[in-house]
Amino acid sequence: MIRHKLVAVAGAGTLALALAACGGSSDSSGEANANAGTGSPWILGTTDTVTATDPAGSYDLGSSTLEYNLYQTLVTVPPNSTEIEGDAAKSCTYDDPKTLTCTLNPGAKFSNGDALTSSDVKYSFERSIKIQDANGAAIYLLGSITDTAKDGTVTLNKGAIETPDDQTVVFHLDHPDTTFQYVLTYPGAAAIVDEDVFPADKELADDKVIGSGPYALSQYKAGDQAVFELNPNYTGPNPGKAPQVYVKYYTEPSALKLAVQNKEVDVAWRSLAPTDIKNLKGDSNVTVATGKGSEIRYWVWNLNNGIGKQAAVRQAAAQVIDREAIAKDAYDNTVDPLYSIVPPGYGGANQAFKTQYGAPNTAKAKQILQNAGISTPVDITVGWTPTHYGPSTEDDANEFQRQLESSGLFNVTLKSTEWEQYQTIYKQGAYDLWILGWFPDYPDGDDYLSPFMVDGGFFANGYKNAQVNKLVAQEQGTDDQAKREKIFGQLQDIAAKDVPFIPSWVGQNTAVYGAGMSGVEDTLDPSFIFRFWLVTKNG
Amino acid sequence: MSRGGSGSLPRYIVQRILLVIPMIWIILTLVFFILRVAPGDPVSAALGGKLDQQALDQRREALGLNRPLIVQYWDYLSSVMHLDFGTTFSDNQPVLHVIRDNGGATLTLTMAAFVFALVVGIPLGLLAGRYRDSLPDVGIRLFGILTYAAPVFFLGFLFQYYLAQPLGLPTGGNANPITVFEVPTKTHILLVDAFLSGNGEAIQDVLKHLILPALTLGLLICGVFIRLVRVNMLQTMQADYVEAAEARGLKKRHVTWRHAFRNALVPVITVIGLQFALLLGGAVLTEETFNWPGLGQKLVFYINSRDYGAVQGIVTFFAIAVVLISLLVDIVNALIDPRVRY
Repeated sequence: MIRHKLVAVAGAGTLALALAACGGSSDSSGEANANAGTGSPWILGTTDTVTATDPAGSYDLGSSTLEYNLYQTLVTVPPNSTEIEGDAAKSCTYDDPKTLTCTLNPGAKFSNGDALTSSDVKYSFERSIKIQDANGAAIYLLGSITDTAKDGTVTLNKGAIETPDDQTVVFHLDHPDTTFQYVLTYPGAAAIVDEDVFPADKELADDKVIGSGPYALSQYKAGDQAVFELNPNYTGPNPGKAPQVYVKYYTEPSALKLAVQNKEVDVAWRSLAPTDIKNLKGDSNVTVATGKGSEIRYWVWNLNNGIGKQAAVRQAAAQVIDREAIAKDAYDNTVDPLYSIVPPGYGGANQAFKTQYGAPNTAKAKQILQNAGISTPVDITVGWTPTHYGPSTEDDANEFQRQLESSGLFNVTLKSTEWEQYQTIYKQGAYDLWILGWFPDYPDGDDYLSPFMVDGGFFANGYKNAQVNKLVAQEQGTDDQAKREKIFGQLQDIAAKDVPFIPSWVGQNTAVYGAGMSGVEDTLDPSFIFRFWLVTKNG
Repeated sequence: MSRGGSGSLPRYIVQRILLVIPMIWIILTLVFFILRVAPGDPVSAALGGKLDQQALDQRREALGLNRPLIVQYWDYLSSVMHLDFGTTFSDNQPVLHVIRDNGGATLTLTMAAFVFALVVGIPLGLLAGRYRDSLPDVGIRLFGILTYAAPVFFLGFLFQYYLAQPLGLPTGGNANPITVFEVPTKTHILLVDAFLSGNGEAIQDVLKHLILPALTLGLLICGVFIRLVRVNMLQTMQADYVEAAEARGLKKRHVTWRHAFRNALVPVITVIGLQFALLLGGAVLTEETFNWPGLGQKLVFYINSRDYGAVQGIVTFFAIAVVLISLLVDIVNALIDPRVRY
């Protein structure tokens, strides 16, 4: 609601189409089913935390990891792809930019044997919105089918979801929104629950939940462990190989590192410290696997007041920043330099900042400032937060300061504040420039652009550009992916020119695993979905 | 203690129990206001990096976090009086369930550490006191100072790195996940449940996981016991009755072991109560270091999440535990030494 309605839409009349958002179920599902449960149980170790196993109460990666394996959504993201395909649905098709029709796979069941019907789908959305847990994603991501009152109460639009028969669900959006199909891949907003099991007005206890995904939850001890066993009634395309998967929770990355080295867990995934990963690369008993990531860090300029209002200052800073040095010196190359706010791998991603500024160049930066009549060195206050984004943030900030000051063009004052205060005072103008991180909600370039560039972004940095708002409305209102990606490119180019923020790096999706494991690499992609069904242990 | 009191034991116990109520109220009040004075709240901790200011404010409004503090305080006190500690914001658990599910792990750890400290600390303290200024005394004193001074997390890391692998011991957790899954939950104390299940492998696994954390935490208070018992032993050995016993021809060995040692241990009972608070404080760090799923680890998590209800519930539980142990120690002291009642 919050974001999508900000950009709600012009040019809807130009949009007519039927986007086949998803294909049918996998041809190889019969073969995959034959392999179900043939491996050995394995243990995943993670430092992620779980807010809730009931999708109505979660909007975090730790919860999503469990939910992706426990529930089905109508559509999902295949490994290493941003093109969505069917999960519980055989197909989801835009009849027009405001109407999405999904047809369910026949014969789908929940792990308790109940049939999965369109009524369950409708019920799942209705209850999430009715419960409107502040920790849940539904009230934030389903803006196209909800309305938010002034007091914050969110309600489902009348007639927003229709179920003409047991196999069909029709979503009527209140504005053209082709990002809605991507939102449907996220279990926190769109997991399908059994209407005969989940209460309509409150969340189900964490250890009682059931779904229709490849695995069923057999035990859940908050903060300690979760145990999954194969869903005996699963009929979808992704049957699990291991009969049991244990998820063990750790609070400290150092403890997780020791656990994988000591064979107490088979796979360590999220989040090991850069120094630990570097160290583990030298350990012959474990394998460090790396896939593309989607978690980014970026520096936000304050355009409301202070020196950041001057475009030349922002551009000069972007001209001298050496991202490769940050990745190497602060993160031991466990992250990759990011030259646009949309990371590589997403449709329409480009390298706008590299194209605009090339290699770090002090002379060019000096020229930019001289042309604008700005005397040097320019005093800027840079904010960072010491724990929220991990201990390496300090190295990150110091390297950033060093680079700016070594150009001789800037005089940087670093200020560190704990997250709780940080997120309040950066909006109040405490810094000229401050570091933030982002983790996507859905696998689409829009999730890196509209939250950052429309009307100052969620971080309220004061950036306003009518052209940006118009372009965002256009890309959200069309199902023509080529056209959308072209617009994504335009938006990134504008960002590089106006510099409301400076992209810094994109994280890698890294897992460390011990002997006998297979399939880990297959699930390491920018979606950060850890697909238990792809991973197995031999012996 | 009791002006005009009769000195009766029941009266003393009733007075001590009545004092517990204002103590708990003060603790609840302090925790309530300290948490709210600190920057941040559960909404900003969970969603501050995702949502704009308007959305954050709406969530605060919906959760009642924008209400006047005094109204929130009164609501909280009313709930607590009905033993309702609410539900955690950050992981959606009833606070009482958190205490029930994780309290067992903390209890197991602290008891094991305590037993270790007593078994190691008292004999070493007695030995050091008996052989004052000898080489063993110097060695034991040095050991006591080092174990008391060394940070718990540092000791824990050393053990994890240098003892775990050579000895085949786990580096973290209170059991293998498969053990936790297979042992039926009856008492919420895994070690007890493992014994009740009669599963030998599970018992062995739980005990193996307990060794390093209990050793780490036990060493913290072991040093306190060593120093305390040593000093008491020295004082007792110089007491008149020891000298008199020796003058009457009793063997030095007999006097030392049968009389001096026993009397040297009396003050330790008082200190045990005081050390319990230290033990709980140390348990927070030990649990963090060893990924031990106890209340200390939970407390750190909830503090970081600004989860008011959870922190209040756990701190209150810790406070009640310390108060009850102190009460127990006071009663035992009063039983042993009638002077305490007056």
